[in-house]
Amino acid sequence: MDNINLGRHISGQFNEDLENVINHVMHMGGLVEQQLSDSLTAVNNDDEVLARKVLATDYKVNALEVSIDDECTRIIAKRQPAAGDLRLIMAIIKAIADLERIGDEAQKIARVALENFSGEQKALLLNLDNLGRKVLEFLQAALDAFTRMDVEAAVKTHQSDEKIDREYEALMRQLMTYMMEDPRSIPQIMTVIWSARALERIGDRCQNICEHIIYFVKGKDVRHTTAEDIRSL
Amino acid sequence: MISVIPRTLAPKVKLDLNNLSPEQVALEIKNLNLYYGDKQALQNISMSIPKGQVTAFIGPSGCGKSTLLRCINRMNDLVDICKVEGEINLHGENIYGKHVDVAALRRQVGMVFQRPNPFPKTIYENVVYGLRIMGENNRRVLNEAAEKSLRSAALWNEVKDRLHDSALGLSGGQQQRLVIARAIAIQPEVLLLDEPTSALDPISTLTIEELINDLKKQFTVVIVTHNMQQAARVSDQTAFMYMGELIEYSDTNTLFTTPAKKKTEDYITGRYG
Repeated sequence: MDNINLGRHISGQFNEDLENVINHVMHMGGLVEQQLSDSLTAVNNDDEVLARKVLATDYKVNALEVSIDDECTRIIAKRQPAAGDLRLIMAIIKAIADLERIGDEAQKIARVALENFSGEQKALLLNLDNLGRKVLEFLQAALDAFTRMDVEAAVKTHQSDEKIDREYEALMRQLMTYMMEDPRSIPQIMTVIWSARALERIGDRCQNICEHIIYFVKGKDVRHTTAEDIRSL
Repeated sequence: MISVIPRTLAPKVKLDLNNLSPEQVALEIKNLNLYYGDKQALQNISMSIPKGQVTAFIGPSGCGKSTLLRCINRMNDLVDICKVEGEINLHGENIYGKHVDVAALRRQVGMVFQRPNPFPKTIYENVVYGLRIMGENNRRVLNEAAEKSLRSAALWNEVKDRLHDSALGLSGGQQQRLVIARAIAIQPEVLLLDEPTSALDPISTLTIEELINDLKKQFTVVIVTHNMQQAARVSDQTAFMYMGELIEYSDTNTLFTTPAKKKTEDYITGRYG
């Protein structure tokens, strides 16, 4: 948290409150990252046990979201944060909503592992894994930038979403071809499409997290602006 | 074209404080230096205070914010060892000029202090005091002015049935509003408030804050406050001062969310400098 500069508040209690809330966000980020990674592994290895574990841990992520929100509300009510402190709280409130949704998307992916794919259709899942690993890297980079509140890393990571989108489109075209070639495989391919869609959405959420970092550090709201605007910061 | 953004969401039009047109400026402070004996209390302050708005000065104790406020109606003249250099222009005229009538200046620039200081007279006599001194004796004129000022100061409904009771029987919050009524009875252009709520309870404080918001429709208000949240709530512009220097002066929304200077950030977030 090099850039957050939490300490130095005259009120030691305020420092402590902020540290606590940030530790919880880190913990939540770690859980979500593990969920995504586990769900990808579960799909790839056809590991039903691991998939069920992902489904079972989602409640932890949800509970963290609620308790972090609660902590932030309390800090606003009691401390009336201003400037950087206020932007930090706002960034956290928004980031945890994104994290929670990433957890939900990871669950959707894990469900694929519970479906029966015949031998030849397993190849489809390989494509999904490629996209999944890229999205996982994206999430890791976004969380890493968030941990350090590193605005340069956030700007750089923000651009990764373009790559993810391109990959997603390519995969869609490929899956469409498969559907045309073999209409009987459509139910399975639809499952893959939903998962690919979930991964693409995770990419968008990671991009949001990068935007929250930029907002915290620079005080500029870069949502719904162009990539050039963000690069020129 | 009909705007798609609801009015409440549309960003407030920000004044460019460095480039105000002459009609927008109420007070222009230029290269102001102030010394108490050998000690320099204000260092080269330059700023324009816009008309019909609330401008707040914030900063730690001893930063010069009260001193600066008191310069605006030359209250510092009362301090023997005080020396002022530079200009404060009101209507383009330097109030520190040679031929300025200080009493006339103070009629244009009224002031309210930290502790309510009503005179030991009736409520009515307190409000019309300034007008009487200016030679106004017409009862009808005085009555009208008293009602109008007390209404503007949001006190009329509470005192209309006891205008001829002693002002000292009012509560602290009421006394402070009475003092504001007294200050605005003579229709000044600028109203200086030096920590007007620091001796009041939270509810009286909110009443005064609401009043300040109404007052800016008629007057230019400059307020010094120790309470940063109060500055955030009531002011349109905020100036942060530190050790006699003007560190940052910008619109209040910007200053409290994205201050430009680290010193400002440290102060408003309650950090060690």
